[in-house]
Amino acid sequence: MSHQPVAVVGIGQTHHKKSRADVSIAGLVREAALRALEDANMDWSDIDAVVLGKAPDLFEGVMKPEMYLADALGAVNKPMFRVHTAGSVGGSTGIVGSHLVSSGRHKRVLSIAFEKQSEGNAQFALGGGKGASIGAGGAFAPFIRAYIRRSGAPEDIGWQVAVKDRLNGAKNPYAHLKLADITIEKVKESPMMWDPLHFLESCPSSDGACAVVFTDEQGGKAASKPPAWVLATAMKSEPSTFAGRDPVSPAAAHACSDEIYRAIGVTNPREQIDCAELYVPFSWYEPMWLEAHDIAAPGDGWRMTAEGATALDGSFPVNMSGGVLSSNPIGASGLLRFAEAALQVRGMAGEHQVGGAKLALAQAYGANAQFYAMWAVGSSLDPLG
Amino acid sequence: MPDVVRESVFNLQFPFTRSLGSTLSTFFSALAQGQLIGVRTGGRVIAPPLEYDPDTAADAGTDYVKVGPKGTVSSWTWVPEPTHLHTVKHPFAFAFITLDGADTPMIHVVDAGSESAMAAGMRVEAKFKPTEECAGRIDDIIAFVPAADPSPSDGAGEPYAAPAENAITMLDSFCDLTYVDNTSASTLLWMESLLKGQIIGQVCPMCNRTYVGPRNMCCVDAIPLDESTLVTVPDRGVVTNFTIITPVQYPGQTETEPFVRVSILLEGTDAVMAQQSVLEIPASEVRVGMHVEAVWAPESERDVSDIGNRGWGSGGECIRGWRPTGQPDEPAENFVERMM
Amino acid sequence: MARTENDIAIVGFAQGEMERRSQKTETEMMLPVVAEAIASVGLTKSDIGFTVSGSCDYLSGQAFSFVSNVDAYGAWPPINESHVEMDGAWALYEAFVRLMQGDIDTALAAGVGKNSNSDASTLYTIEMDPYYLTPLGADPWSLAALQARALLDSGRATERDFAEVVARNRASAKSNPKAQVAGDFDVDELLAADYVRNPLRRHDLPPTTDGCAAIILARGKKAYELCERPAWITGFDHRIEAHLPTMRADITRSVSTALAAAGAGVKNGPIDVAEIYAPFSFQELIIRDALDLDASTEINPSGGALATNPVMVSGLIRMGEAANQIIKNGKRRTLAHATSGPCLQQNLVAVLEGDE
Ligand SMILES: [Zn+2]
Repeated sequence: MSHQPVAVVGIGQTHHKKSRADVSIAGLVREAALRALEDANMDWSDIDAVVLGKAPDLFEGVMKPEMYLADALGAVNKPMFRVHTAGSVGGSTGIVGSHLVSSGRHKRVLSIAFEKQSEGNAQFALGGGKGASIGAGGAFAPFIRAYIRRSGAPEDIGWQVAVKDRLNGAKNPYAHLKLADITIEKVKESPMMWDPLHFLESCPSSDGACAVVFTDEQGGKAASKPPAWVLATAMKSEPSTFAGRDPVSPAAAHACSDEIYRAIGVTNPREQIDCAELYVPFSWYEPMWLEAHDIAAPGDGWRMTAEGATALDGSFPVNMSGGVLSSNPIGASGLLRFAEAALQVRGMAGEHQVGGAKLALAQAYGANAQFYAMWAVGSSLDPLG
Repeated sequence: MPDVVRESVFNLQFPFTRSLGSTLSTFFSALAQGQLIGVRTGGRVIAPPLEYDPDTAADAGTDYVKVGPKGTVSSWTWVPEPTHLHTVKHPFAFAFITLDGADTPMIHVVDAGSESAMAAGMRVEAKFKPTEECAGRIDDIIAFVPAADPSPSDGAGEPYAAPAENAITMLDSFCDLTYVDNTSASTLLWMESLLKGQIIGQVCPMCNRTYVGPRNMCCVDAIPLDESTLVTVPDRGVVTNFTIITPVQYPGQTETEPFVRVSILLEGTDAVMAQQSVLEIPASEVRVGMHVEAVWAPESERDVSDIGNRGWGSGGECIRGWRPTGQPDEPAENFVERMM
Repeated sequence: MARTENDIAIVGFAQGEMERRSQKTETEMMLPVVAEAIASVGLTKSDIGFTVSGSCDYLSGQAFSFVSNVDAYGAWPPINESHVEMDGAWALYEAFVRLMQGDIDTALAAGVGKNSNSDASTLYTIEMDPYYLTPLGADPWSLAALQARALLDSGRATERDFAEVVARNRASAKSNPKAQVAGDFDVDELLAADYVRNPLRRHDLPPTTDGCAAIILARGKKAYELCERPAWITGFDHRIEAHLPTMRADITRSVSTALAAAGAGVKNGPIDVAEIYAPFSFQELIIRDALDLDASTEINPSGGALATNPVMVSGLIRMGEAANQIIKNGKRRTLAHATSGPCLQQNLVAVLEGDE
């Protein structure tokens, strides 16, 4: 079959902020794209196709903005593709871009994802323009309450994740929140937003973009900087609600990581994978995903957090970039996870680098915890070999 | 009994605030002063300017050039009945207008009185709002009108020196769209049951799951569910989970104080109604395992006009909320995971 | 030519009712169509390797409107699934690329659009440049009319040519049971109508249609298992142009269509039938020009988008109709085209072939 190796050779992101009032929408996406092209030592003309992802168009009030952005992203006379898979969209944008190369259709592809939340209001958009919008926090808080009950986790686990991710974010020059002086006390004392979630356990609302340049095997081997090899990709979905669905440890989450592990021969993810970027918009999702992706045994995810295993210097670092808790340009948040995993195995993550990372996992999820996108990237095509 | 709503009109309105970035700020700041500009890039002058060359995506730079205020129409069309979104409220033309000093046309409005006045090649000039009304928007130009004097614009093509700081950096953009949604058959059944003071659902014959309210399909088996699968379910149940939401303010927000939303497992079924409100007790007293029953509005006050096709389980103005029955709580651990 | 495991074919196609105003939600429209497409090739939902749909949040004015559409798949146990905010023809493109990964051998691509809830003349103003065009209420009809006038002024077409495109498509639509606007229309009578946007009359604009369609793809041997005469996708490409029509070198030419046609290998042989997605009558002339088809090619036997235009589905229907020409009518080589954006900004071309 035609499946060919794919390399990530360029990564770029914007400085994420509450409001990037200094740029237009085009200016925002170009900032990320130009950084990715520079990293890849390429120019616009080197790119064969562009894939754009973002969350709902109602966030900025521009319908299908890839049409307006086509020329800003150098796509004129080229293929331009638009993905929308809810919160997992950033991940899907990376996966679709990588598939365009692995299928042999293109040699060099630019995937870019963005959100400019300051143009509108996500709560408004999620509430369908009506009052009493519960927002994402209101939708996920019950799942978190159920996880706490099920696992018997102590209440400070969420606070610990909130602190750890912000301290990581303080090391990331692009992160929106840089809360170097955050403490457990401050998280605990911050206002209760969606009981049991405190304000500081929740993601910010950010403007930002992320871009990734993919090439084929030849391009990866010829790249001037170390490439990250895309070893496996998966996208899984299940319906929003039906009697008996488990939204705490969803079947689609397990199926998604199962497919990745099987594809690359991982039998013990906690031992064999060096680090992971997981989509954690609310603190408790760290232990929840560790279990739902079978990195920890059921009920044990919170122990990894409590023992410091998920810290930057732990045995299984999670969200080295600071994660969604530090920057949340919604549509880009998934691709930021995917890009950080690639940065880690390229050894280019700077102050938030995990020493010797050879195999990294990235995940994004969306809607009612029902859409999943994942990839595994390696410093070589056979990092376990 | 009031009739159910078969079509609901929804106005999607939102005031977006767009930041402009350097190039657009320069253009709109100049425009607010009555000056049109373009940018020289790739050997031609693009007006209005873009921050990138549309052919190559290269940075278009800051080689700004004065253009207009007169220009030449290269294509036009006539709008006999303007919509509420058009900026001119009487019949007008849209046109491609190549401003003097520019190499590419801009799209704008021409107010020429009648369709017969329109022609390719006609000379037009920008008619601005009074300076004090100019806000740095593309509609600061009310319209282009036939040029009294077709001779070339003074100063077109001359360099434009942008000020160090632009006065205009943001653009307010009010989205105002109207949707008319027609109510689906399953939602009509739901509305009718609520008006009668009943909660209905559908039971899938393949997997036996109950869906409250009816969806006319089973999302597990992907089969349609017809009226033969309808059941009336109890308006009592147990709280399985909840959250207390601190409202974030946004245009259209109706809440100011923290409010509770609960999930309720209906008695004798596997169906959960999510995002329900609780009455008669403060939010802090809501517990998992608590028995509750629906509080129905008096029949004359029941209203389903706010129920849309996506409001599965929304009680409209029929179920005002749920109140504790006073029965002893069930063990929380038996219910907490039944969120759906 | 012998087919290999790398070759991918359309093997099944289903389309639901095409109506001016459906009483159903998008999800309800999808349920029977997805089921029919899967059943048409003798499969069940658990046999499908990958599922992807195209739809648009702003058609319903609801963020994440596509999320409930997953219910129509019966995605349990969980499935491999994706969504594009594009016409279903591009969803099909994603499915095509996904099949090329080699781990699966069937895929389903759907498109759904409940267009009747909104008003095209106002809705699509927010698809335009948000700084220069949206604040003017620049609407798709006006932009199309500016393109149409440029075509007239080029001397390559007349208003009568536009009306003849309409009459031919609507006459062809008489044999399409799914067509919404079909019948015999007199060109002179059409030309007597008032302009909606000079030089476009109401008949030059597409109807408003609610609808859904779904296509089953299969790879290699699987295609022969599912279909006696698969419609092999031998060429598939899509390209985009500058957003502002005024930034394109010549708005009366579709450079992106010509590039996509070259990428899809249109010229590698004669085309028996072409299904062109031209939402405005005159755009068919521009697309035909860019495809450089000869007189032997039959255009839009389905009636095209002037007869039925469920936005987000119309391109996918062109793929299905072109495939059925091979699967059911024994044609040898057909073409499907799809478009998106103001003044034909983005275009997709696929070439389908049946075995000799
Ligand atoms: Zn069922």
